[in-house]
Amino acid sequence: MSESSNPTRREETAGLMKYSTENLVPFGPIHPALKEPEYFKLVLEGEKIVDVIPRIGYVHRGLEKAAESRPWVQNMYMFERTCGICSFVHSLCYGQAVEELTIYKVPKRAKYIRLIIAELERIHSHLLWVGLMGHWAGFETLFMWVWRDREIVLDIVETISGNRVHKSMNAICGVRRDMPENMEDHIVEKMKYLADRARYYREIIDTEETMLERTQKVGKLTADTVEKLCAVGPMARYVGIQNDVRLNAPYAAYDEVPFSIVTRNEGDVQGLLRLRLDEMIVSTDMVSYAVKHLPDGPIRVKIPPIIPAGEHSSHCEAPRGEIFYYVKSTGGRTPDRVKSRQPTMANLPAALEMLKGQTIADVPIVLTAIDPCFGCMDRMSFLDTETNKQWTWSGEQLRQYGIKYYKDRG
Amino acid sequence: MSEVFLRRVEECAVDAKSKSTQLRENETLVEVEQEYVKQFVSKVWNDGISRHLSTITGLDLGEKIGIVYHFWQNQNLLHVRTTVQKTSPTAVSIVDIIPGAILYEMEIHDLFGVMFVGNPWMDKKLLLPETWPDDLPPPLLKTSKSPEIRKRLKLEVE
Repeated sequence: MSESSNPTRREETAGLMKYSTENLVPFGPIHPALKEPEYFKLVLEGEKIVDVIPRIGYVHRGLEKAAESRPWVQNMYMFERTCGICSFVHSLCYGQAVEELTIYKVPKRAKYIRLIIAELERIHSHLLWVGLMGHWAGFETLFMWVWRDREIVLDIVETISGNRVHKSMNAICGVRRDMPENMEDHIVEKMKYLADRARYYREIIDTEETMLERTQKVGKLTADTVEKLCAVGPMARYVGIQNDVRLNAPYAAYDEVPFSIVTRNEGDVQGLLRLRLDEMIVSTDMVSYAVKHLPDGPIRVKIPPIIPAGEHSSHCEAPRGEIFYYVKSTGGRTPDRVKSRQPTMANLPAALEMLKGQTIADVPIVLTAIDPCFGCMDRMSFLDTETNKQWTWSGEQLRQYGIKYYKDRG
Repeated sequence: MSEVFLRRVEECAVDAKSKSTQLRENETLVEVEQEYVKQFVSKVWNDGISRHLSTITGLDLGEKIGIVYHFWQNQNLLHVRTTVQKTSPTAVSIVDIIPGAILYEMEIHDLFGVMFVGNPWMDKKLLLPETWPDDLPPPLLKTSKSPEIRKRLKLEVE
């Protein structure tokens, strides 16, 4: 948006930052190539960010409304399509809420298979995120390496479920596919390899200048702020809050598989990197253990298409944090109401707080740090409070700016 | 742990002149009148009964709109349910107690048309498009039908 010549108009622009989105260009955040457009209006003082106003909802598809007119089983596969990275855990959480309304119990083997897929998904999601952090910091080699290793996980998932992204493994009261035979040794071996790689990446981010420079003391938050803003998952654990559904309220087979959650105390982006890599190592151990101790038995129970009346809520630990589903049935073939809350929604207020006090060059790093499901940073709008100049940058321009800023600074 | 949690929730409920029901193991529901919501929530939050608000759910209950606050503490889930009249959907905001509730309240404002008094961002839209017509009912009410929304937003493919 060009600078306004009218003085009263300019005054309005200054006032509008907090109260209205009137002067923003609403054309742009939607881009067919990008998955989740979010629009942040940054209020700047020179280089420094003083306030951030979010505008989300550009890809709001009305899933909750759509769920009310679809059968219970069909909804499971629709909710799986909420996210293209942590798809499995959505159907798991919705399924668990529905299962509680029925009288049927999930077989033990199915619970173990659910855990295996959920943890494989976590490894794949964390690897994807570490790669993206490398990309935004200008460390392309890390990006390439990490995404190469991610293929290993995706291949395993594909062998088990037949799909790479939308696994469609869950059914209400069970899973749809059994584990393939003779996969045990292969999975254990690959998990060991991935854990070694994670340790190596851990060493890189601890010693490599580029990463240290870009991530240390960036996006600082205190435990108190995080708690008040109700952040979840790694965003809570990186300041030392023990917030993990797997440990606090175990579901699937998490009460039978030994594991420990990782918390850190740095409270900066560097801490998030260490936390997610450590978490990945824990996940590889969990997958190996679950594969070795997989119990025998049936994998699903067939249930009638009508779910008894009642309401239930369920929460699960997705790679990005707690996801929450609330399901209400009036005893029909379709739900009366389904509510779903994704971790990025819970983490957004904390991310906005992280951005305050940072420079523009840190924006890509900090916004990626919350792992916003491919938080599309295209069409970011800037407003300089000193000159009232407003302009927009694409994600790539912003990335280049960040890299150049730190290069020039030396 | 769970018993201590239950007892403390019951104490709060008595103060707010409401009753707590144990739905399942580790899951408690408290139905609170709208005027006592703020008092109840601030007690739950400030006394450390729960320091995490998972989300806020809106419900279409026919004559009324239900608002459910979901709290989580260790293995316990606490649901605090309140209702507002559909004819005058005004609720009290808890943003000054729990700042993290701001987006959840905006979401219910968008999807159910409930006005939260005290939320600083009530004049903004979070999820709905800017072009959403004012006379169209909020989308998640049962009276709102998908074909009509598509037609009014010109989403139908000609």
